[in-house]
Amino acid sequence: MSSLIGYYSLIFGVGISILVVFFSIKNFNDTQNLDIKVISLVFLQLLFVIISFSGLILSFVNSDFSNETVFNHSHTTKPLFYKISGTWGNHEGSLLLWLLVLTLFIFVFLLKSKNQPNQYRILTLLFQQIIILGFFIFLIQTSNPFNHIFPVPKEGLGLNPILQDPALAIHPPILYLGYVGTSIIFSSALAAVCSNNITKMWASHIKKWVLVSWIFLTLGILLGSIWAYYELGWGGFWFWDPVENVSLMPWFALTTLLHCVLVLEKKLILTSWVVVLSIATFTLSMCGTFLVRSGILNSVHTFANDPERGLYILIFLFILIFLSLFIFLFFHKSKNNNTKTFYLLSKETSILVNNWFMMYFLSVVLIGTIYPIFLEVISSQKISVGPPFFNKLILPFLIPFMMAMAIGPKLKWIKSDVEDKIYLILFFIISLILSMLIIRNLDINFLYNTVLITAAFYLFFITLRDFFHTKYRNLSQIIAHFSFSILILSILFNNIFSSEIITNLKINETYQDQNLKINFESIEQENKQNFKAIKGKFTVEDQSGSIEVMQPELRIYNQPNIVTSEADIKTNMFTDKFMTMNYVQNQDYFNIRYQVKPFMIWIWISTILLCCSGGLSFIKKKYEN
Amino acid sequence: MNILKLLITVIFLINFFSSDLKAKNLGTEITKNLRCLICQGQSVYDSDSEFANSLKILVEKKLDDGLSEKQVYDYLKNKYGDWILYDPGFNKNTYFLWLLPILMFVFGGAIILRKVILKK
Repeated sequence: MSSLIGYYSLIFGVGISILVVFFSIKNFNDTQNLDIKVISLVFLQLLFVIISFSGLILSFVNSDFSNETVFNHSHTTKPLFYKISGTWGNHEGSLLLWLLVLTLFIFVFLLKSKNQPNQYRILTLLFQQIIILGFFIFLIQTSNPFNHIFPVPKEGLGLNPILQDPALAIHPPILYLGYVGTSIIFSSALAAVCSNNITKMWASHIKKWVLVSWIFLTLGILLGSIWAYYELGWGGFWFWDPVENVSLMPWFALTTLLHCVLVLEKKLILTSWVVVLSIATFTLSMCGTFLVRSGILNSVHTFANDPERGLYILIFLFILIFLSLFIFLFFHKSKNNNTKTFYLLSKETSILVNNWFMMYFLSVVLIGTIYPIFLEVISSQKISVGPPFFNKLILPFLIPFMMAMAIGPKLKWIKSDVEDKIYLILFFIISLILSMLIIRNLDINFLYNTVLITAAFYLFFITLRDFFHTKYRNLSQIIAHFSFSILILSILFNNIFSSEIITNLKINETYQDQNLKINFESIEQENKQNFKAIKGKFTVEDQSGSIEVMQPELRIYNQPNIVTSEADIKTNMFTDKFMTMNYVQNQDYFNIRYQVKPFMIWIWISTILLCCSGGLSFIKKKYEN
Repeated sequence: MNILKLLITVIFLINFFSSDLKAKNLGTEITKNLRCLICQGQSVYDSDSEFANSLKILVEKKLDDGLSEKQVYDYLKNKYGDWILYDPGFNKNTYFLWLLPILMFVFGGAIILRKVILKK
């Protein structure tokens, strides 16, 4: 029943889309009608999509297996929370969620943009409706979440157990808020080009949307990393996996845009560049969806894929790119002051430098991700591009990037001089000495690591001083750059100082080396709602004699029948202790992996801080200085 | 004063680090750069599949036989193809892969240079 309502709501939604397009074109010059008729229609559309989405959630909650999506991805013994999150844990449901956010955002946009020119608003609405229509057709044609099966099966196939996790339950919705937010930026930029409305006012208005998307995208990526850290069982949080890269690309583009919009808001320069970035950001988000959903990529994330769907997204993507290029080339009037030159020491130049590096990072990730696909198509040679490639091409460039991040924000608009030269040099020397002290005893490349850590420390100290010294002016910028320095520092230290032990242990056996002693105490079994848990109990004693009890777990899920390994993680402010145990076939011992990972929690904290700085900038009225 | 406090904290942290140092295992480092061929996007190090486990043993054995890090990679490359290495070497298949980003960087730099007045 709820499936049927859900399906018809979708059909009504399409109808309203067409009505919206019709009325907006008809009333293009009639400013009065926009607020009454069109907004209520958009609201109605949102309502229908909400009903449709609720219909799908209800089908999942009631375990209505006459619905194919529910049958494929749910099971009666699954906890209620994961029944609900299962709604978007699959291809069809996640697309419906995309659509829901698309309609929600355009509705909010219309409410929040009342002080903008009406033609610009109508045009934004039109472009957004093109995207919305595309998703409607995509849903109904190739990935209908409400397909009926007959005879009705008694039991569903169940959700992949590694997806049954609180972080992953909220990861897709948050990430989608970020992805879909870029659609508003895209539509709005095209509309601004068409109606020749690229002004300072437009810049400060679109900045809010850039910030919202950026915050949600950052949070979404963070949640995915945290999930990978404790769920995939190898203690890493980022693997340069294609699907991770795909979420990182719009993030780079958005971060660039965020900085660029500030210049536009203040000086009305770089207009073309802002438009290109707005188009690129959304295109990259769509490409992400295409690459993930088409199954072209070899990744841990490919849960559901189907070439036909990939083809549809590809065609849709090409139409959007073609449309936006067409509009950009034929409607965009470059402002005269675009040709103005900048002084080397000025805020404008420093933001250009940011853009330069960001675009470079973006191109590394983009090329690293899609090059293997092209190579395979052209020469049928399979190569892998993994962490070593990205580390080699990105890490060295972080050195000048972080130095620029420290000094750039101190510069003033148009033309300025570096102030506080003594402090800048002093802090550099301190950072250098510190890094040398830390690296001196390690058997890693001394020069390279010292310089890298020096740059990170430099950014850290400079932003820290700015925080106390500037009387909280530009607070959001300082916090953002500060948290980035903590992020890089904690990633570097985490990388350098992590240690691990991999060993096989039977019950009551002990592993010992000069640093620590691991004792396998006991094992116990527990029956949970939809899995059987095998809990190991270990004591870990380190040099100082302090004892930690670790209880990693194996879970044997009933439906589908999959064994997962749950890490036990003991976190404190300095270091994480991480233990997993794995079942070894036909043996009476378990494979134990124990890791000590310093500063793990600071990676999460700094990213959250980064999001907070975005939030702060969102609340703040105007970019200062 | 603030700087002094910071210095003290950081020096404390350095001591904290040095107590916990261990030499990294070369075999483990190598397996991190190998793709587990039967898994979906996992390295040999991360995976617990039979293939990954046998490869971990193989790498250790080759190192014990006295092969250098590079020789181990070459051996695996000959046996399983380029697909297994996460670090794509610099060869005719990968010229573009390595050089294109660098070219982009140079190109971007040139654009900025044209816009910026170098003289004060």
